[in-house]
Amino acid sequence: MLAHSLMLRASVEATGVQLDPTAITDRSRDPLLPGGEALLDLVDAVLAGDDEARERARQDVRNQLGDDGLVDAAGVIGNFEMMNRVADATGMPVGKGSLARSEEWRARLGLDRYRHE
Amino acid sequence: MARPASMWLRSCSMAFEFGPASLRVRDDISGLFRREWDRLSRPGGTWTGSERVAIAGAARQARFEAEPSPALIPDAAVEAAARVATAPASIRRPWVERMAAALGNPKYVELVGVVSRLASVDSFHRAMGLPLEPLPDPKPGAPTGDINERARIGAAWVPMEGGASIVYALSLVPEALAAQEDMHGPMYLTYEGMAQIDFVRGLTRAQMELVASRTSAINECFY
Repeated sequence: MLAHSLMLRASVEATGVQLDPTAITDRSRDPLLPGGEALLDLVDAVLAGDDEARERARQDVRNQLGDDGLVDAAGVIGNFEMMNRVADATGMPVGKGSLARSEEWRARLGLDRYRHE
Repeated sequence: MARPASMWLRSCSMAFEFGPASLRVRDDISGLFRREWDRLSRPGGTWTGSERVAIAGAARQARFEAEPSPALIPDAAVEAAARVATAPASIRRPWVERMAAALGNPKYVELVGVVSRLASVDSFHRAMGLPLEPLPDPKPGAPTGDINERARIGAAWVPMEGGASIVYALSLVPEALAAQEDMHGPMYLTYEGMAQIDFVRGLTRAQMELVASRTSAINECFY
């Protein structure tokens, strides 16, 4: 999560779009990003929801971001379902440099709660 | 609801034929899935094709309460497939060492790759509202025995070659490393795409990273 939340921050800074990154870990917050709520709902529904929630979330993404947006979102979810498992099942650590450079960011998003080592 | 075992097996050539009523799935993604099913059906570095399909069956059984697979793999492999499929954030070093002691590091690493790529394919289908693709018919043959002898235990819990990066996590088994490398371009971004922080396809780069970050948050994956 750390690596790609940092890429999210970099992308937002480069493009100037609005984002509240705390929505990644706190669903009571509005991510502000266009289509962001619908995308977060889709992830939640795919990983932890029922058929009804998934269908509703799919339709919201299609309505707001189009069919190509849904395909991209499904691909990204799939990719990180893979990468998360590889990282956790092999004990891949985050580099010391990344940890040193991300202290404030991790504290803002509460990411250290996910550290296992 | 459990599905009959016969529904889990199907010829690779028929796989991932998304019907005209479905949302259009990009050709690079359907092509990737066919390659992955072909890989899954064939012998890998340490497991036969039948064993790899059985590992995938054990992972699906744990994740989706599917019909049990034939007992072709050791109990430790069933346990590992289930844990990686359903509770990866609960994995700790002593458990990995126990699995490696039971199976050997190469078999454990190859299993992690098989189960993780299956999770990728299956979660794509769930996100799109598509039924899960039946597992492929296994192809005959012995494991290739292709193991990276330069891999060593270092920063991670399994032997690997290269820096402390997810890119090299499966480097002990070259086939598993190559298969993982094949996945991220169609499913997420190529390395060239990753370097473009303002990349836009169906989603903007920021939207893609929001999805990536939330997926990792729910999976409780710090990396």
